[in-house]
Amino acid sequence: MVPSRIRALAEVAVPALASGAVAGLVVAGLAAMVGQPVGWAAMSAVTLGLPIALLGGGYGLLVASGRVRLGVFAPAAVYWMIGFPLARLLHETWTPALLGGSPAPPADPWGFLAYQGLVSLGFAVGFVWLNERLAPRWLLRIKAHNPIAHQLFHTYAREAEQMQEAKQRRRTGAASRAGKGG
Amino acid sequence: MTTSKDHPEAEFPDSAAQTAPDTDQRVWHAGGLEPMPIRKLPQAPPSVHILGPTVFLVALGVGMGEAYMWPRLVLLFGPEIRWLFLIGVTLQAIVLLEMSRYAMATGESIFMGAARVFKPLMWFFFVAAILIYIWPGHLSAGALAFESLTGVPWQVTGVLGMLLVGVVFSLAKVIYPLLESLLGLLIGVLVVGTAVIASLVGTWNDLSTTITGMFAFGYLPAEALSPAWFPVIVGSIAFAGPSGMQQMWNTLQLRDKGAGMGAHIPKIRGLRHAGEEEAMPSRGFMFDTEDPEEMQKWKGWRRWITFDAILLFWGITMLVTISFTILAQAAARTSPDVVTLLREGEREAALSAMSDSFAAAGSPALGGLFLGFIALIGLNATLGLFDSFSRGQADMAYFFVPGARRFKISHLYALFLWGVIAFGIVILLFGPADGPAGILDILAFLSTFAMGAYCVVLLLVNNRMLPKPIRPKLWTNVVIGFGAVFYLGMLFYSLVRFGVVVS
Repeated sequence: MVPSRIRALAEVAVPALASGAVAGLVVAGLAAMVGQPVGWAAMSAVTLGLPIALLGGGYGLLVASGRVRLGVFAPAAVYWMIGFPLARLLHETWTPALLGGSPAPPADPWGFLAYQGLVSLGFAVGFVWLNERLAPRWLLRIKAHNPIAHQLFHTYAREAEQMQEAKQRRRTGAASRAGKGG
Repeated sequence: MTTSKDHPEAEFPDSAAQTAPDTDQRVWHAGGLEPMPIRKLPQAPPSVHILGPTVFLVALGVGMGEAYMWPRLVLLFGPEIRWLFLIGVTLQAIVLLEMSRYAMATGESIFMGAARVFKPLMWFFFVAAILIYIWPGHLSAGALAFESLTGVPWQVTGVLGMLLVGVVFSLAKVIYPLLESLLGLLIGVLVVGTAVIASLVGTWNDLSTTITGMFAFGYLPAEALSPAWFPVIVGSIAFAGPSGMQQMWNTLQLRDKGAGMGAHIPKIRGLRHAGEEEAMPSRGFMFDTEDPEEMQKWKGWRRWITFDAILLFWGITMLVTISFTILAQAAARTSPDVVTLLREGEREAALSAMSDSFAAAGSPALGGLFLGFIALIGLNATLGLFDSFSRGQADMAYFFVPGARRFKISHLYALFLWGVIAFGIVILLFGPADGPAGILDILAFLSTFAMGAYCVVLLLVNNRMLPKPIRPKLWTNVVIGFGAVFYLGMLFYSLVRFGVVVS
């Protein structure tokens, strides 16, 4: 039973993992573009892109397990305010070490972390934005065999119903007004 | 302004009178136009859940002001100049809340509200919109960045871009959701990307000076008050967040999204599907503000839009601008040419120099990515402005141009859309030789005037056309009044004191 629940949770976490991966790819791509040797760029993809993708997946698990509400910004902001600076610290410190040098932590680690923490807010906005666009479609796809996805999808469905009702009201209202309106 | 069942003089109806919404005969009299029937206000969505329509406004509002004008001022006058940006964007957030007040309470655009107060006010905006937005200047910035990236002449990109926008919005029903999804993803990548670039090239010092500079209230170096720079500062304030008439158009977006009483109004369709358009009512609707249940729902809508205004609009605009300012500071460290070009006002050259400095510090690809973001901003602005302009003009024309109601509003939308595209193409191919930056200068002047004017209109519309229980509070009126003085005062001070319009 436990493995199937884990599998279901992991499956629901896929969109957030993908959002993290998209962000991770941007990060890795940028790292590659900073004109460093290919090895350094590839290593950046590992030391920065991979942690961010994994953190994205972690966020998806929090959503799937009901600890975080889907689409709400504040928890995502807090999550990335911790996660993003740590990922950047890992990237900054260990990329040279993995390429044969020695670890190179930032000269002012607290200043570095504080800076990355603030920048992470912008990152979190983009992450939530991307996730909001990927998650509903994915949940629709897997809800038939995944009870957690089924439950989460209904959160979205309720919202869609509200919108549909509003649309219906508009149509019936417009039809009844057709004679009066201009 | 009164409500009645049969005649304008009657008192506002009590809540017990309201039962079935569509059979309700009561109306709300606002100004000289047709009274608004009383209908039920729909339930508000959860205030902190969905990304509301303001996100769309943010995507459009983040333009050259954020990417170029404010980073420029920071490099020339220091980060302390950003207190003016803080005031500009905060003011815009309050304006957003007040624009939405009328739109959500009535399902009418602010243009219709202006006409209810005094019809010439609405005609002023009708003419001003044409004067300001018929020029394709907003397109040139992105197209020039694209030219730097690919070598394709910017006029070619501009013409093709406009034709593409026209076709896309004419086929709207089929393509628009796809386009919205695509743009949604691109904007997400833009936000993530600028944050990541800032995290890689910026420093704590860049960020702390950028942020603390926002609170250096009153800082104005002597040079900023010179004839050369004061008009630039005024223009930059007008370009902080959504500029010109974008806020007014947002009332139409809110209506189409079905926010508040906008749920009772049909949507505008693309030309291809214009035949399917439902009959457009000749006026908006009002809800029963004496009914506690309805007022509870109204509070829900206000919470919903407040979340959008503060967290999404104010927050994201600030974040993106901070990222771009950090990028400019990093670029200036690498390449002193950047500051020289910014001082000379060579926008395209300065953006290229910034791109070059990232390329020098990193690789050509990083510089290319920066230009790619500028092109993306330009594309978003073009898509949004063409749609919004056509929406606003179609709305005003449909309700107020004699004989216009023979057509569907979707046909008028298509007429304005293709009209502005055709004119834009002619201007791009044979237009004035003073170049795209010159076009943006004219935009900045007229934009500032329109912004001061809409603050005055907001005060009149919200305080005279809405029932008392949902009118703005005193402090809100003071802020909007300050906005009118701020925009118009600086504009005319610049004209009288220096004899120079904003730039």
